[in-house]
Amino acid sequence: MKKLTTLQTAVSGIKDHATLALGGNVLHRAPMAFVRELARQQKSGLRLVKTAGAHDIDLLCAVDAVKVVDAGFVSYETVYGLPPHYRAAVQTGRVKTNEHACYTVISALRAASTNVPFMPVNGLKFGDLIDRNDYFVVVEDPFTKEPVTLVRAIVPDVAVIHVQECDEDGNAVIIGPKYEDVLMSRAADKVIITTEQVVSKYKMKQQRDRIAIPGFLVEAVVHVPKGAQPTSCHQKYDVDDKALRTFLSLKEKQEFKSFIDSYKKLDYGAERGNIRW
Amino acid sequence: MVNNYRISDLMTCTIADMLEDGETVFHGVSSQMPMVAMHLARHSHAPNLVHLNIPGGVNPESIKKASYSSAGADLVEAGESNFGLDEIFDLSMRGKLDVAFLGGVQFDRHGNINASVIGDYDKPKVRLPGGAGSAVLIPTAKKAIIWRTKHDPRTFLEKVDFVTTRGNLWKIITPLCVFVFQNGQLELDTIHPHTTIEEVQKQTGFPLVYDEVRYTKSPTRKQLQILQRIDPDDFRSAEM
Repeated sequence: MKKLTTLQTAVSGIKDHATLALGGNVLHRAPMAFVRELARQQKSGLRLVKTAGAHDIDLLCAVDAVKVVDAGFVSYETVYGLPPHYRAAVQTGRVKTNEHACYTVISALRAASTNVPFMPVNGLKFGDLIDRNDYFVVVEDPFTKEPVTLVRAIVPDVAVIHVQECDEDGNAVIIGPKYEDVLMSRAADKVIITTEQVVSKYKMKQQRDRIAIPGFLVEAVVHVPKGAQPTSCHQKYDVDDKALRTFLSLKEKQEFKSFIDSYKKLDYGAERGNIRW
Repeated sequence: MVNNYRISDLMTCTIADMLEDGETVFHGVSSQMPMVAMHLARHSHAPNLVHLNIPGGVNPESIKKASYSSAGADLVEAGESNFGLDEIFDLSMRGKLDVAFLGGVQFDRHGNINASVIGDYDKPKVRLPGGAGSAVLIPTAKKAIIWRTKHDPRTFLEKVDFVTTRGNLWKIITPLCVFVFQNGQLELDTIHPHTTIEEVQKQTGFPLVYDEVRYTKSPTRKQLQILQRIDPDDFRSAEM
């Protein structure tokens, strides 16, 4: 089965209202080319899952593609401040935040990866998060009779993960921090990899100990150099400070569209053969 | 005693002084000040402190590249081994994380912490970033330290809008003072040398609880010298 595909084809398989787990963390290795294509194809009603998101969630909120965000933290880091489009979407009721404690996202994905309906979470003991969210329930431990908090499983329809190296079978190498990406690949129904480089099967076999996601889990591989920009990708590029600041200053729908379209050449570059590998 | 320091230096040194040698200590995203404080501790009284962070680099040798992010790959690259976020949470759950650094936007005298929303949870007036790991780390880490670079009556108030988490926090450090959570309430630990008890009370939306006014120790010359060396680009002041 041929897994190498174009960005447009891979994204066209995403249904409105799908639950997507997005790889990376805050300003690092977010699958931004895929996210921009979701915006170009005007997907809507998406549910986004991530422990800590930033530009990815903010951009999809800016173009009204999102219905629900399950995350522990949504913000750019200190120097870039708060995510304006996500905040506006939540404050006007267009997007619902399912606030998690980061670890509860991990627990919910762990539940999904082992196909159990929920996961007990030690630590989540007090506060309004438990009272106000229906995905947390306190029950009596049947063994000790002590209270224990459960978090409901989150089964992503698709995990979208940007990596540095992948072969045509989907064997993927993540260089540097992996964040929750490996777990996401085990919890999701399908996995789509976008990659800086497509390396030969031979080369991948030589470095098989570094493979974080084995190819048999992966449905599609998309070659997108710079596919995490303007977030960072370890050993490839740092954040694009100017692009992030530009995006944060945008207000109008047309401006979002222009910003997203300005990446077209980059996002589609590999498939037009503009970029050699 | 020295006088040529800024509030961010004082806060960083005060945080460093809270840490003990050998402790396992975690910081999250947007946490430059605690990150620098942890390094200051490692370079002074706590060489065996274990620095844990979201990307998973254990004891990064340098933090000089963490300019815009305290969750980047540079911490892994400079680290001595890998221990990811999921594993750090698990460590805390089994009672082996000594110190966690956490944020928040509103705090009340009962030790309730809000990092979620201003106004109603479902239709908030202001959606805040969220508590990140607070709700599971504050109850499980041995000591939870909160730092906040703002101290005003909207930050320290009678009642928080939303309880993201509560209890078991140890200390809160602000540009004006250090609070300690004891006897089920936030009590004044020390006030910083540049302020007065009247000023701290004026900026706090609930009556301060204290036996006597004690002052926060000023940074030592040695601490300031180490800060110059380990944080030459002043990431510790990023939030100020």
